[in-house]
Amino acid sequence: MQIDPTTRIIESTQRYKGAPKQDQQLNVPLVQTQKELVEFDRSVDLSLGTVFDEERQLSFTFRPVTKFMMVFENAYTGSTTYVPFRDNLYYTNAIQNSASYYPSGNSGPNGLIPNPPTDQTIPWDGFPQYPEFDFIRTDNDVIGYTAGPGKHIDFKSVSATTYNWSHYLSYAFKNEYNKQLYAIEPETNVSWNWVASQGLPYIIIDGSDELTRFIKFKCPVVHGLSVGEFVLLSTNYNGNSFFQVASVGDGGEGSDNYIFSIRNVGFTGTTFLSLSQGTFKRVLNPANSADTISEYYIRKHKILTDASCAVLVNAGYEQNVYNNKQKCEIESLTPNLRKRTSVKEGSRSYTLSFNCDVNTLELLDNQKRPVSELFVTTIWRGYFGWTNKLKQGWGFNTFLDSGNPQVWWDQNNPDSNTTINQSQYISLLNTGPFYYNDFLLTGDTIDGDFCEWNNFEQLERVISLYQHKITYNQLWFRLDNPLPTTNQPGYFYQPHRVIQIRAFSDYIEEGSAENVVGIPDYAYYSTTNALFRWRDLYPYGFIDTDGVGVDYPYLNDAQYPFLNTIFRITPEGYNIPSDYAQLGKIPINITTIPEPTVDECE
Amino acid sequence: MNASRIKIVKDDTNKYLNIPVNMQWDFMGRDDSISEYETKAIKEVTGIAADFEVARFSHNIFQNFNTAINYEFNFYDDTLPITANTIGNWTSSYLNEGFSVQDVYYFSKPFTKSFFKLDFYDTPDERTQQIYLSIILPIQQGLTETAILNTLLPPVEIKKPTMILDSIGADKEGFYVYWLRSRDFINISSFFMTAKFFNARLGVFKQMTNTRQDLIIPNKFQFNNADYFYYRVNLNYNDKTYEVFSTSTLARVGDSSSPIIWYEYVNP
Repeated sequence: MQIDPTTRIIESTQRYKGAPKQDQQLNVPLVQTQKELVEFDRSVDLSLGTVFDEERQLSFTFRPVTKFMMVFENAYTGSTTYVPFRDNLYYTNAIQNSASYYPSGNSGPNGLIPNPPTDQTIPWDGFPQYPEFDFIRTDNDVIGYTAGPGKHIDFKSVSATTYNWSHYLSYAFKNEYNKQLYAIEPETNVSWNWVASQGLPYIIIDGSDELTRFIKFKCPVVHGLSVGEFVLLSTNYNGNSFFQVASVGDGGEGSDNYIFSIRNVGFTGTTFLSLSQGTFKRVLNPANSADTISEYYIRKHKILTDASCAVLVNAGYEQNVYNNKQKCEIESLTPNLRKRTSVKEGSRSYTLSFNCDVNTLELLDNQKRPVSELFVTTIWRGYFGWTNKLKQGWGFNTFLDSGNPQVWWDQNNPDSNTTINQSQYISLLNTGPFYYNDFLLTGDTIDGDFCEWNNFEQLERVISLYQHKITYNQLWFRLDNPLPTTNQPGYFYQPHRVIQIRAFSDYIEEGSAENVVGIPDYAYYSTTNALFRWRDLYPYGFIDTDGVGVDYPYLNDAQYPFLNTIFRITPEGYNIPSDYAQLGKIPINITTIPEPTVDECE
Repeated sequence: MNASRIKIVKDDTNKYLNIPVNMQWDFMGRDDSISEYETKAIKEVTGIAADFEVARFSHNIFQNFNTAINYEFNFYDDTLPITANTIGNWTSSYLNEGFSVQDVYYFSKPFTKSFFKLDFYDTPDERTQQIYLSIILPIQQGLTETAILNTLLPPVEIKKPTMILDSIGADKEGFYVYWLRSRDFINISSFFMTAKFFNARLGVFKQMTNTRQDLIIPNKFQFNNADYFYYRVNLNYNDKTYEVFSTSTLARVGDSSSPIIWYEYVNP
């Protein structure tokens, strides 16, 4: 402020006649235009490591990469008369088939007879070749199948990676409690139909009628119980449904996971009779069961990327340990008199990445926490039309029931249907329909693993892995066995593979809102001790002494988690004839290595 | 302010002198400002996290749903020297480039060490252009032609510089273009592609044109380089595909009916 130097200050009464006397004020501003900063505000130590870590912790962009080692065993021979399929089998009965197919023979004194008479109604036996299951089809130029006259479809190279399988990224976003489930106990053939939210099924194998000290329960899945915890049974004894677990296992190897016992305090009546069935839930503290009871559900996944985002390439020259299994098909022992190499099993590994980024900033998992797991989801597409509509189940559905597939897998069972749409087409030979599974789109949902969640522990446990089952379409490839056509044996695969992108602490934090700052919004308010409970989210790059945590590359302002996994296509059984020496067709029975019925030592 | 001239006259009333402390810089928010400035300064010093990830661009499908990209390289037969009045003789054969049938059939080292090099520039203006990426097409790829290896032996099939590249099959090297997936750092959606052949037998690069020189008018040796040395390659960042266009007709090329044809450039 500047004041004119000629300014005169006069007393107030002198300003004019009769002017009142009044106080006068003079404002004297202390002008300050700069201030010295203290030392530590003026200089900052620049640490590239700190800058890197700050950027890393704030990055929510993910670019997962997966390496698949494919393990597949071609386990089902069958027969077909559909020409493109018939001409491209890995033959298992070629001499007999050839003798029937060429009623007048196909060879003369100078070699093969051109265009010998044939009986087109004769089916040829064999395995579908490995390219029918491979991640990348390379049979783009097979005359009479993918190219040339008589081809089945017009092969597009751009679709070579999506004819058989499609790949996506997904995350678990909610729980499905009302999913109908089915399991069968292989030893007793006792089966359960229950809803996921009811918990885990059991059968009493040593009941109160055995007059033993313990009531012994057996489950078809891993029960997850510890001694001292409680179970809430679907039945009750004099109004009480809570019982403390007295022991787990029965001495057999691995039985700890499937058998638990409660103390027999002299139960009478029919509640705990042997072979009684029901379901139970795990409870930590029956005095506050609402707080400490486990809930059971099917994880529901949401698709994050379209199929076109997936980039699938060979993983260099890597192969699995089983090597390729292939053989030469001799001209005279083929229906089209064409010499070729047929492949029964391959051994390639593949690398999967995505052209689309995944941003997890606004994603919450099925427990409404920040997403800590992404899933690489692989779905059978089967565009060439060898197979039926996909069926779904869980690990406990993959065991055979008296040598047959469980009734769960019957094509007519709606409970085992997937949410994946099926389409069909007519082949270029005007034959059909051939069925295939549609691509999933971003935002589509698909079922996942069977899980248990406990609010008090803030922990999710995967009880049983989600499985898909592929079966052949009997119309085009017939398995020669006596099983009903609506419940054929097939191949299982696990659609979801988890990639951990964050880690929750292995300890539980607890505190009240008054005393603790920074309680996360996903914390659970426990009425047991009137405190919030939660697990901390570890920062990227931090791994605790128990190995919990994640540390993977961060660059390009994105996180690059990596998963090295084995993709198994597991046959439900085998019907392989023992006549690889071409001795003739042998009656086929489904056989497999049975599940252990006593313990895992078997 | 000059306050020395102020006179305060004594009277019987109390007088007050208010001295306001005029602050033009406030403590409030200063720490935040410093922190913000610090962040900004550090970013200037260290640079921000930029995305240099590359994506795989595949050749976009044609109307017939084929994805294969067809290259045809033609070499000039030096036995017919090109002059202003001579019609040249270009053929898609390594034999025109000085390789013998034996070289090509037996994959001699001078032959196998040769390659085609596709360079991608941001502009066809040679004064300002920058090269951004290159693709190498090895001579092991390609179709075959019939040749006589020895008069005592039946004819044999030898490689010729006509390639059909696709995502699967034997010939796929050079099918994909790998380029930045983010356009924040370099924002280019069109490249201008040139072709060169490295002849390992002679140790020289041969430039190639998109048109036979004898068809270039009015002067086959004096022409606008931008018109005859390039094809345009458009990238689609949404579906990660690319398409190749002729710089003269502006039509899309690359399928079997309109392959990307290159002709060896012949100096006068």
